[in-house]
Amino acid sequence: MKIIITNTSDLPIYQKIKDQIKQAILQGELAEGEMLPSIRALANDLHVSVLTTRRVYDELEAEGFITTKAGKGSFVAKENVELLMESKRRMVESKLTEAWEAARMLGIQKSELYAMMDLLFEEEEE
Amino acid sequence: MLYHLVKKDFLLAKRYWIVLLIAALVLPVFIHTKLMAGGEFPSFFISTLFIAYLMFNSASMAEDKFRGAAYLCATPYTRKKLVIAKYVMVAVLFAACYLLYTLTALIAPLELRLLNLYESGLAVLILQIAFGVIIPIQYRFGYEKSRYIFFFMIFITPFVMPSVIKLLQNSSMDWSNIPLSQPMQGLLFVLLAAVIGAASLLISIRVYASRDL
Amino acid sequence: MKPILEVNELTKQLGSFKLDNVSFSLTEGCITGFIGVNGAGKTTTIKLLLGLIQKDAGEIKFFGKSIQNNEHEFKNRIGIVLDDGYFYDDLTLLEMKNVIAASYSNWDNRLFKRNIDRFGLPLNQRIGTLSKGMRMKYAIALAISHHADLLIMDEPTSGLDPQVRLELMDILLEYVGEGKSVFLSSHITSDLDKVADMLILIHGGRIIFSEEKDLLLDKHGLVKGDNKELNEQSKALFLTLDETDYGFSGLTADKAAVRRQMKNVYIERPSIEDIMLSYIKR
Repeated sequence: MKIIITNTSDLPIYQKIKDQIKQAILQGELAEGEMLPSIRALANDLHVSVLTTRRVYDELEAEGFITTKAGKGSFVAKENVELLMESKRRMVESKLTEAWEAARMLGIQKSELYAMMDLLFEEEEE
Repeated sequence: MLYHLVKKDFLLAKRYWIVLLIAALVLPVFIHTKLMAGGEFPSFFISTLFIAYLMFNSASMAEDKFRGAAYLCATPYTRKKLVIAKYVMVAVLFAACYLLYTLTALIAPLELRLLNLYESGLAVLILQIAFGVIIPIQYRFGYEKSRYIFFFMIFITPFVMPSVIKLLQNSSMDWSNIPLSQPMQGLLFVLLAAVIGAASLLISIRVYASRDL
Repeated sequence: MKPILEVNELTKQLGSFKLDNVSFSLTEGCITGFIGVNGAGKTTTIKLLLGLIQKDAGEIKFFGKSIQNNEHEFKNRIGIVLDDGYFYDDLTLLEMKNVIAASYSNWDNRLFKRNIDRFGLPLNQRIGTLSKGMRMKYAIALAISHHADLLIMDEPTSGLDPQVRLELMDILLEYVGEGKSVFLSSHITSDLDKVADMLILIHGGRIIFSEEKDLLLDKHGLVKGDNKELNEQSKALFLTLDETDYGFSGLTADKAAVRRQMKNVYIERPSIEDIMLSYIKR
């Protein structure tokens, strides 16, 4: 699993880490049942606070991506397809919102944005 | 725990050990040869006062210089223990001087007599009074300031001493009238010394408890 | 994570300096940095924690219990590193260790030996002959060899070269890895950028903030842009603002608001030092 923390977006640090772990789980990079690093180890490696990694794990657990067993550590939860799909969909939505915000800031019109999307689909079909 | 604190005080003065060990053996003999007959008491008393004070002072000096007491007080050592250790150190010094004197008296080819109970008791009492005053003053005012106080006290001694001696001479009549044998008086002195020591210790503990380190 | 140490309304008048109603708490398993310029009250606070000076008012709790009534237990369960060591320089490392070790009921001599070997400390040498860096390592070896739950350090990095400071930070990270906590004061904030979990800023005897480091870095931003972006409303968003003919730069505590109100500005990530100074300069 790779986690890269950049300063290019304004998202809180914990959000950046959480998104990337989630992505790794969704894309199967982290297998179900796999053990995650301890919150302290992850914090040290990423040079972030242990309070941040704790928040990441707490939220991932609340969202059903991981389970934590006291004294044993945190593990990738047994896959729950519906849950994951829902989450993936939400991710797409959020990315689209981001793109839409950027487009609006640059004054890109609705039709122009649709054209871009069409182009992406066309490229894939080729 | 206490053992280590006392040991530390001795270690702080370790560079004077040899000098003072020799002093403890030689000084009584030297003073005795100057005073001749009846000089046992002053020779023991003066050399013990000298040695005990020097050891105590060099330990205090090191303590003041390195301020290690602040570190020790941040460990589970209590301030009370630190104070008790100081008193134990002085008591050990008395005992060591007494032993060394006895040893000298036994092996030196001189007419140096062993101290009797009366003399021993008196010496312990006077030494205890001296240190019973010195230690609390040092805890109250710190090493630097109390040095000036001690200096001042030594300075005024020649002026005060004659009247004190006179006072003692006037009252010495009643003193010898005490219906006790000399050895018993010696024991009484030791007992008195213990009381003074305990009082001084309690004062020092109280004073040191609220000092900022 | 529970609080390991809670300080409530600690007050102390020392000459003309006053430590004023200082309150904060330390979270278990965390490295908490206690930052502030020299004379801000860091050492005074630590000395009050350790009972080296007497407080005028306030309460300190360790694992929920007032330390006033449990002083011995508290001291037994903390490790301490004081500024400059407060060692008897004339004693050897071994002699000093023997004095210190005897005070702790769970002193682990094998652990101490391991630390000594690891730091390459000469046990039979006089403490006075140690270099500044070695002296610090010795202080740490003495502080972490009795399985203390909390390590309290006063300015451990001052006067050390960067390499030793880095080593020290690694030691601390390893220490908290075992679930222990660290409280260290420093005016060199670059050390804390890397290792601290929580940051407490003290200035003029008062606590200015007590916050998670990452949240602090998330909220604050170093903003640069054209002067025309500045107006009465946007200026209010800055803790410090530096305007020149060529543009402005300033530090904000509300990055999100700046992003909303000022469209054409660059926002960079500030350092802990930038943040600290912006609060002090105000």
